[in-house]
Amino acid sequence: MRLGRHELTLEPRQALPPGYTVLIAAGAIVVALALSSFLFVSADASVLGAYRSIFAYAFLNPLGLTATLQRAIYLLFCTFAFLVPLRAGLWNIGLPGQVFAGALAAFAVPFALRGGDTQASFASGGLIILMVVAAAAAGAAVGGFAGVLRARFQVNEILVTMMLNSIMFWLVAYMIKEGGPFMSPTGEGESFALPPGLRAPLWRGIPFTALLVVAAAVLLDLLFAKTALGYRIRALGENPAAARYGGIIPVMLSLIVFVLGGAFAGVAGYHAFTAIPGVYKIAGNYGFYGDLAFYGLISALIARGSALGAVPIAVLFAGLSLGARFAQGALHLPFGVDYALLGLLMMTFVGSHVLYTFRFALRRTTAEVLRPVAPELPEA
Amino acid sequence: MWELLARSLEASTIFLFAALGELVNQRSGVLNVGLEGLMLFGGTAAFITTQATGSYPLGFLAGLAVGGLLGLAHGFFSISLRGDQVVSGMGLWILSFGLTTYLGSPYTGPLGLSRIPAVFGLSPFFLLGVVLVTAVWLVLFRTAPGLAVRSAGENPAAAEASGIPVGGIRYLCVVFGGVLAGLSGATYTLSYNPVWNYNFLMGWGFVSLALVFFSMWNPWILLAGASLFGIMWQLSLSPELVLPGVLSRYVWRMVPFAITIPILTLISTSWFRTRWGLTKPEALGRPYAKG
Repeated sequence: MRLGRHELTLEPRQALPPGYTVLIAAGAIVVALALSSFLFVSADASVLGAYRSIFAYAFLNPLGLTATLQRAIYLLFCTFAFLVPLRAGLWNIGLPGQVFAGALAAFAVPFALRGGDTQASFASGGLIILMVVAAAAAGAAVGGFAGVLRARFQVNEILVTMMLNSIMFWLVAYMIKEGGPFMSPTGEGESFALPPGLRAPLWRGIPFTALLVVAAAVLLDLLFAKTALGYRIRALGENPAAARYGGIIPVMLSLIVFVLGGAFAGVAGYHAFTAIPGVYKIAGNYGFYGDLAFYGLISALIARGSALGAVPIAVLFAGLSLGARFAQGALHLPFGVDYALLGLLMMTFVGSHVLYTFRFALRRTTAEVLRPVAPELPEA
Repeated sequence: MWELLARSLEASTIFLFAALGELVNQRSGVLNVGLEGLMLFGGTAAFITTQATGSYPLGFLAGLAVGGLLGLAHGFFSISLRGDQVVSGMGLWILSFGLTTYLGSPYTGPLGLSRIPAVFGLSPFFLLGVVLVTAVWLVLFRTAPGLAVRSAGENPAAAEASGIPVGGIRYLCVVFGGVLAGLSGATYTLSYNPVWNYNFLMGWGFVSLALVFFSMWNPWILLAGASLFGIMWQLSLSPELVLPGVLSRYVWRMVPFAITIPILTLISTSWFRTRWGLTKPEALGRPYAKG
């Protein structure tokens, strides 16, 4: 674009200045929050009052803060489930399906052990571990299925994971509704309640999955920074052609990232339905947790693939989505402020994405810079 | 039985419109994986407009306009800024998914107008669909502008060298794709199932996207595929018509999605690619930098 004697151009960026990533990430979030003020204005609510109500509930109210941390754990598992394949350049949008698979597998443990007599009492730490492992394995299986197809036949992973989301959504409906195997004995379109002995142990309202998620964040960053496997995944993601030239075989890697990602989503499913106080069942509105998983997708994108960097972002998103629901009730806003915020965050991320790969440059146009030069040498 | 078939063909128009638009923009080299989002937004805009004004034409117009605008946004990001087309498409999908849930929720429920009348027992949109397929085929494969579109998707540098404005053509195609996605969403919310519900599509857009790959970028195969999926979809909604009492209805709902995966796998095998798959636009999904 020409501006007088200058030209404004987009130029590919060679390297990112230090701190720039953090700055853009923060900028994208702030812009999305600013845009969401339109939602409050259109609903005739006080903008400042709405923000105050969201943040005060999510981060200052003790009840709200606990709920924020519980949700942040869920979002972080979802973040990692998306982040690992993303580092290899693959899009795992099958988070909801893998979450549902994890939830079903976790509930299958008490269901199988007591042959369907779901009200029997349990008390065993071993069984809880078994539930986590089962959830991770189920998520990994669903993710791995998409990974195998991608690795072996180059099938588009976005389409396959999306189809798996729909399949798993209806599978859960089959299992918990209309006489399905997991249906609650009272038959209200939800699963049987988890026996109290199998509820995840809590410390001040926070389940033990918090430890798992923090460990996963540290290990993932170490994996990508320090190990050969992490290097291969990154190389594949950043330049598949160069990676192949360098002897990296993409087939196994595509599978590994999807299995690992799926396992994280499976544990997210375990956490959402068996570890949050007050839930302890697959409720009829389980689809909401599937939708919520996409906050994980955005936090992985905004964190630019850094697992530890995603932690504050996921905590913020957890608080925002919870606080938005709270403000919705308190200020009589229309349903779905949390969904709208999800959309706005995605939009500002896409906008900010341009700033990672390009920079705006203002240059004098060449005609002004180079004066006409005489073709002959000047006489001595 | 006739009713079921007519209903199936109406369902298939929703796949058809969206997929036909996507086929055109893929032929020009631009991939839009956010198709479902464009359909959601177009459908919601059409529903709200019709409910507010009581006019079907205004509703359709709103749906087409919103779809076209989102297509334009995708074009700006992927053509002018040369951004990653998957990032932009996914962005449009999640943006639409989130915003329509908020904007549409006060309108949750039935449209409450008399239904759009059928022509000879058939939805008028199916007839429109057949006309559109014919038109797109004629333009793409029998005219000079169609050749320009295809060359922009196969080898943009060569196209540019022969005087074809690649950027402009791609913009036109992406907006056309958006408009048809908007039409598809509007057909859903105004005619096929005039009840607004959050995330009412639940995967129709992604199935449409898969249909474009199945069609090998040929409008006629797309028409056949969309009709087949329309029938399958309708059967999955009311399986009791064919197999009463067999399996839960929830299991049947999985069938169209479950069938999509093996077909996708088949067309991705190297055997299929070498035998049939040469029609894939060579420059699909790759941004083009002039000069």
